[in-house]
This record gives sequence, structure tokens and C-alpha cells, in this order.
Amino acid sequence: MVLLGKVALGIAGTALAGLGLICSEGMIEVNVVEKQPEAHHVYVLAPAMLVPITMHFIPNRKLGRAASEIKPWMPTIRAALEQLRASEDVTLVEVREPGQHVLVAKSGGSVVVDVTDNDDIVHISTPIRAIESTVEQIAAASSDTRD
Amino acid sequence: MQKATRAIGVCCVLALTISNLAVTAMAAPATERYLHVKVDDGSKGESVNVNLPLSMAAAILPTVNKGTLHNGHVTIGATDFNGVDVRAILEAVRTAPDNEFVSVKEKDQDVRVAKSNGNLIVHVLDKSKDGEKVDVIIPMKVVDALFSTAKENELDVAAAVRALSDAGDAVLVTVQDATEHVRIWIDSHSSAE
Repeated sequence: MVLLGKVALGIAGTALAGLGLICSEGMIEVNVVEKQPEAHHVYVLAPAMLVPITMHFIPNRKLGRAASEIKPWMPTIRAALEQLRASEDVTLVEVREPGQHVLVAKSGGSVVVDVTDNDDIVHISTPIRAIESTVEQIAAASSDTRD
Repeated sequence: MQKATRAIGVCCVLALTISNLAVTAMAAPATERYLHVKVDDGSKGESVNVNLPLSMAAAILPTVNKGTLHNGHVTIGATDFNGVDVRAILEAVRTAPDNEFVSVKEKDQDVRVAKSNGNLIVHVLDKSKDGEKVDVIIPMKVVDALFSTAKENELDVAAAVRALSDAGDAVLVTVQDATEHVRIWIDSHSSAE
């Protein structure tokens, strides 16, 4: 009985540690609400670490064009993301028009994009670390895309 | 003996206090400065706000190598200055006392260029186009930084941004006409409000 308890504790501990590891890079949040009579509501909350993991399963040849386009800009992207991570929370861009509001901000360790118009409300929040690792993976794919 | 011990003790406390102060001063983050751009179009009910940390701009600019922008320097064609020696003019402006250098009053337009309190001031009033009014106030330190590069046909934008970071809060550009209002300024607030 004691042994069974130890095994259960081990499994629970491993699961908890795994969960902690997966959530260590924060969460990606996507919330889309349609303002139609038949309103659709999409809400996704996923661990940010899943994105770079998923990127491993995309064949390099599929990333070829994106990789070659992004690679010259990598020093700029790295510098921007590094500074963004270090900076305090800030609204980077805000656009208001009649019936439309767009907001791009740094909040916590994430980049947040909020778009509200007459038809939809869209909220996307992505951890900066996840953006960094994903962009690095896309850029790294370029050297192996000659097939 | 007791006095010597006490003196050593006082010295130790003082040394610890000074080193603590030094560490605190070194660890304290420098206040972030922001470049704000605000555009309001009253006729359309549109507004655009951009708030850019200057440290980010200073870090990004040297990494961009595209078109005329390379390593934080902008290359200018020989024709852009129409043969005018801008450096010589700026040197003359820098060494001159505060004064109004150019004042043009026409039927449709007023132009004024002056130096005041370490700032280069340009004021343009276009009476023909909805009374468009443009005010540009650039700290001379920023102008100096812009032309600090050794090459004649280059402007050091990265150095100018660094100089802006060191400058105090300032409104750099305002453009106002009948419907639109544009304002560019720097301060330590992360939002434009």
C-alpha cells in the first residue's frame, strides 16, 4: 500500500513538473468574438512552448520562403525583441477610427494585439519568449531548404 | 586601543554604506525615454498613437541595412543639399548667440528659423492651405549628433536618437491645420496621455 502511494506520488510529481515545464514560457491566448446575430466565440489558451515544439514537425522546405525573407532581418528582430522584453509595459501603437480600434501593446512578458470593429472583437496575447524561439526556428530553417 | 577599535568600526560602517549606495546607484535602472507620435484627424474622427522606447530605437537602428540606411547612418545624395555646405552652416549656428536667423514674410507664407536656449527652431505658417502651421524644435545637441559622422554625405541617425535620450522632455514637432493635428515629443511616460 505504501509502495503504491509512492508510485502515485511519483507519477503525480512528474506530471506536475511536466505541466510546469510546458507552461514555463507562458500561455498564448486567442479570443475571437463575432458580433453577428449567430455569434461565434473562439477561445484558445495554449502553452507557448507548444509553438516551437510544433515548429519541429513542419518540414524545412515548407518554411523556405519565410526563412529566406526573415533571415536578413534577424539582427533587427533580435534587438527589438530583446529591448521589448526589457522594457516596461507600454502601448506601442493605438489606432482609433469610427467603428474600429486597434491596440498593440507590451503587457507583462507578452505582446498583446486587440482589434475591435463592427463585426468582431479579437484579442491575441503571445509571450515574447515564444515569439523569439519561433522566429529563430524559422530563420534556422533556411540553411536546410535547398531540397 | 578602544578608540582604535571604534575608529575601525566607524570606517567599516562608512565603507559598507558607501559601497551599498554605489551598488544601489548602479543597479537602479535609468529612466526609459519614449518617443511619442500622435496624429488626430478631427474631420474623420481618426487618431493614431505611437509610443516607442528610445532605447529600442537606438538598439534597432544600427541593425538595419536597407536602402539608404546602414548601421544607423542615412546616406544622402549629393543633390539633396543642392551644393549647400550644411556642416559649415550648422557650425556657424552653433557658435552664434541666440538669434533669429531667417525671417520671411510673404503673402501666403511666414517662415522663421531661430536659435534659442540651445534649440534650433523652425516655424512655418502656410496661410494658403487651411492655415497650416508647422513648429519644429530640435535640441542643438541632436543636430550635432546627426552631423557627427565623418562622412560628408551621411547623417548619423543612431547618434541623434542617443542624443534625444539624453535630452529633457521636449515637443519636437507640431503640425496643425484645419482638421489635422500632429504632435511628436519625447518624455519619460510610456503612454501618450
